[in-house]
Amino acid sequence: MLELKEVYGGYGKITILNGVSFSIPKASITTIIGPNGAGKSTVFKAVFGLLNIHSGQVLLEGRDVTRQSPARMIGHGVTYVPQGRNVIPQLSVLHNLELGGVTSPDQQRVRARMEEVMDQFPMLRQHRDRKAIELSGGQQKQLEIARALLLDPQLMLIDEPSIGLSPNLVQEVFSTLKRLRDNGVTVLMVEQNAKAALAMSDYGLVLELGRTRMHDRADRLLADPRVGRLFLGGHIEEAGA
Amino acid sequence: MSEFLQVVLSGLATGSIYALAAIGFTLVWQAAQTVNFAQGEFVMLPAFFVLIALHWLGWPLWAALAFGLVISVLVLGYLFKRLIVQPMLPSTGLPLIIATMALSILLKEGAKQFYGAEAQPYPPLFPQTTMSIGGAIVSMQDILNLVVSLAVVVALTLFLNRTRTGRCIQATAQNPQVAEILGVNTRRMVLYTFLINAALAALASMLISPVYLAKFSNGETLGIVAFIAAIVGGFNQIRGALVGGLLIGVLDNLTATYVTASYRAALPLVLLIIIILWRPQGLLGTSEGRQV
Repeated sequence: MLELKEVYGGYGKITILNGVSFSIPKASITTIIGPNGAGKSTVFKAVFGLLNIHSGQVLLEGRDVTRQSPARMIGHGVTYVPQGRNVIPQLSVLHNLELGGVTSPDQQRVRARMEEVMDQFPMLRQHRDRKAIELSGGQQKQLEIARALLLDPQLMLIDEPSIGLSPNLVQEVFSTLKRLRDNGVTVLMVEQNAKAALAMSDYGLVLELGRTRMHDRADRLLADPRVGRLFLGGHIEEAGA
Repeated sequence: MSEFLQVVLSGLATGSIYALAAIGFTLVWQAAQTVNFAQGEFVMLPAFFVLIALHWLGWPLWAALAFGLVISVLVLGYLFKRLIVQPMLPSTGLPLIIATMALSILLKEGAKQFYGAEAQPYPPLFPQTTMSIGGAIVSMQDILNLVVSLAVVVALTLFLNRTRTGRCIQATAQNPQVAEILGVNTRRMVLYTFLINAALAALASMLISPVYLAKFSNGETLGIVAFIAAIVGGFNQIRGALVGGLLIGVLDNLTATYVTASYRAALPLVLLIIIILWRPQGLLGTSEGRQV
């Protein structure tokens, strides 16, 4: 579905990605883990056209989409939910949702999809006329995910979905992502809560200093003592001991 | 009572024109997070564009007004954004603010050199008649200035809230990173904002010049009053700028009539100090957090 080939890139002259390569299959959940500064979120920005790629290739279903703008990437069926709060604070929930389909030429279809998405997330229908800033953190994250689903994406890039959420809400978000995977959407996620994220993922990817260090099935990475030692504070190793 | 009503209505008419200029401050703040200190000159200049079309090109008034509007949108909207704002946006706010100050001097002195220092007569847009409202005799010009200004503000508000493009402009103003991620053409939305600002400034110029005449220094007072109106109402709210403009217009007239005309120029500044101390976000504004 998505393949990165020796991608080098960064901000201005500063290089963050030092030859990242990996590929992820369709209808799967892959979690990227790694220490701070490894370039996890930067990978998303590189894929989504928000970062200067110095060299390398980004392939989507075999098609070269390197350096394409966010609007073009949305057109290719890619959606991106960044870290933190990403709603338009003074617009209503409904209008925030509508913005998810702003690039679509078929606004009738967007309106129909809004209804479908609100069926999936009933909270949004309940609060449709409230300003987005008035929602709780968990509700805002649900709104962001719902908005990202408006154009039936094939690939969702989601960065740190659990930040600021209660454990119950994190489970809710993870369940939503699994449901999407079951419906054929490919999910690529960055998550600090590595243990929980790998436990619900199909594949895992370990980044360090802007390079791919490990790429394997998530259950294998969870059981790998090197991962525990390097990135998970020894918890996996201890649990396995 | 009739005198009071007359003073209030006249104040509302002037205040509504201040509001148009004040909304410009708000729009530019939202689009570029900067204060355009040339805003007063943006209101001064379109009157001269109209006079050029009238006197030099010999065009009829309606064509001259259209010419003034188009040239204003092109010069004060498109060129201002492309040549001054866009190259400076990546740097911190101060260079851009200083650039708008320099532009203010350039426009003022340019108008003076080009058209002279004397106030130029400007043709009235509306009949020079009066009408009676509740016993108060008010000029038709005041009433129509008020009606046109309020109609434009209502139309702008409807455009921003009820159309998809308007909501994209709002999204770009409130969270440009997210707007871009959603596929909004943020550069285009910022451009639209600057074009709207220029059109509002041109309208304010056309409405106020029959009263103040066209003079190179008109922007000094207008710019300061509109800036204060935007702060008093709430710098990040269009309705705040409207309320601020109307409030200053009415208070200014009431003070001049019932207290003293000598210190009327000081009134907006007194109001500014009170608001800054009592409610820094303005009457209708909201506090904005800043990330360091």
